[in-house]
Amino acid sequence: MFEGPVQRLIDELGRLPGIGQKTAQRLAFHLVTVDDADARRLGQAVLDMRDQVGFCSRCFNVAAAEECAICRDPRRDTSIVCVVERPQDIVVVERTQEFRGRYHVLGGALSPIHGVGPGQLHIDELKQRIPDEGITEIIAATNPTVEGDTTAMYLAREFKPAGVKVTRLASGLPVGGDLDYADELTLGRALVGRSEL
Amino acid sequence: MVIRWVTLADIRSYRALEWHPDPTVNLLVGPNGAGKTNLMEAIGYLPSLRSFRGVPDDGLISYEADSGVIRAGLGWGDNGHLVEIEIFRNRSRRVQVDRHRLRRASDLGEVIRTVTFLPEDVDLIKRGPGRRRDLLDEVAVQLWPVSALDQSEFAKALRQRNAFLKQRERDEVTLGVWDARLAQSAGRVLSRRVRAMELLQPEMERAYRDISTSDIHVDIEYRAEWVDKTDPTIPAGVYEKALADALLGTRHRDMERRLTLVGPHRDDPVLLLDGHDSRVHGSQGEQRTYALAIRLATQRVITEFVGVPPVLLLDDVFSELDRDRAHALAELLPDTQTFISSARPEDVPVTGREWRSHDGSVT
Repeated sequence: MFEGPVQRLIDELGRLPGIGQKTAQRLAFHLVTVDDADARRLGQAVLDMRDQVGFCSRCFNVAAAEECAICRDPRRDTSIVCVVERPQDIVVVERTQEFRGRYHVLGGALSPIHGVGPGQLHIDELKQRIPDEGITEIIAATNPTVEGDTTAMYLAREFKPAGVKVTRLASGLPVGGDLDYADELTLGRALVGRSEL
Repeated sequence: MVIRWVTLADIRSYRALEWHPDPTVNLLVGPNGAGKTNLMEAIGYLPSLRSFRGVPDDGLISYEADSGVIRAGLGWGDNGHLVEIEIFRNRSRRVQVDRHRLRRASDLGEVIRTVTFLPEDVDLIKRGPGRRRDLLDEVAVQLWPVSALDQSEFAKALRQRNAFLKQRERDEVTLGVWDARLAQSAGRVLSRRVRAMELLQPEMERAYRDISTSDIHVDIEYRAEWVDKTDPTIPAGVYEKALADALLGTRHRDMERRLTLVGPHRDDPVLLLDGHDSRVHGSQGEQRTYALAIRLATQRVITEFVGVPPVLLLDDVFSELDRDRAHALAELLPDTQTFISSARPEDVPVTGREWRSHDGSVT
């Protein structure tokens, strides 16, 4: 449709998640018209990221070194580990400033439909970390989906017999909102998972 | 609940339709193929986002078009809502209520509820248990929208467990957690079905007696291999435990057959007539009466429970009924906005505003 290289860029951008045909076109034409240096900086950032970033050998977070910045941080509590499905979930938990332990990225959740069993997740690596780092509590922060729930249950069954405490994030109400604005599903689940005062 | 206006763009035979139906009874007449059912189908799509003909979304789009739009103005004044649904051929639909993107499909059920009578309703009695399970689940969603989540989680957990059973390598721990997750959703699904049955039963009996003018006893017997007793007072957790135990019991069989052989997806809610299975013992006429009684009961239960009567859709139902049943049904129709379609208006003993549908318009 457009000049070869422009169309190629549109096609590549269009393959990114959340980017449709129209947005891809807009981004591509933006890059055609911006300063040469700006466009090259974007290209270089992509190349650098591919060259320099890999996965943390301990927790499978993205890392620019052998281990990620969190695992290298000596102030982190090594006895508690928060287990998430994907690296980007770490950022969400980190933003709360409430968690001072380390993480472990499973790389997904149990889903036989997609051929994902315990062997396809980084569960053996987690097992290894327990004696190595003296882990006493695992927080299962997998997604509140059927697959995420099941994965959390798997972690409980796998690690509880070894004397590790396994906890699950509570699902509940958004803080600071009125009860009458809470959607029914969230409120229903919050009722089921209510806690004693 | 009232539908004030409907516009259709590239929906089936309607290229561009704007229609302001009557807030009471609307009779859609015209020869077969004139588009009566198409219009009923579009209205029925509003709360459920499903065609009552059981066709996938793109079946609703006109042949020449790539997308179709259903818009509707509901209710009155400040309590009104604007529902807009855009259906595409090759991507997922877009649904907006009052110009805001809908977060969950089941939220639409809060804004509009419908009860649909179809000639095929008699299959609820004549055919297998799947339709009767769907009936209870659909009523549960209309009464407690949250149950839509439990139902879809149950379906997902079941698919996952079956996929696991088909794998070459199968470890006990992983199967155990799928059992646990399946049982959790199953318990919730069953407890809603049981509570829906509890509400439906007396209304079904009343409606059946009103139509047939006989003193017959109407009941639903919920047959399930994995529970001893169903009762609306039993909490979901008890059913959950029951299925977890049953799955353990059938584990060997499930592993061999590579399929989940026990659970809410295999149950049979049997419709009884004086204690006998109506599927086997009911006459043609009794089965048809039963089907009408189920729909009337659904309408009454929702009205009672929600406080707002749902909109009624009767697609070509009267032509299937004999004179007595047609009159009885007409008498029993509740006072709510109603859409009735028929190719032979003389079969419909109901008075209402008459509309003729032809060439993609309604006048």
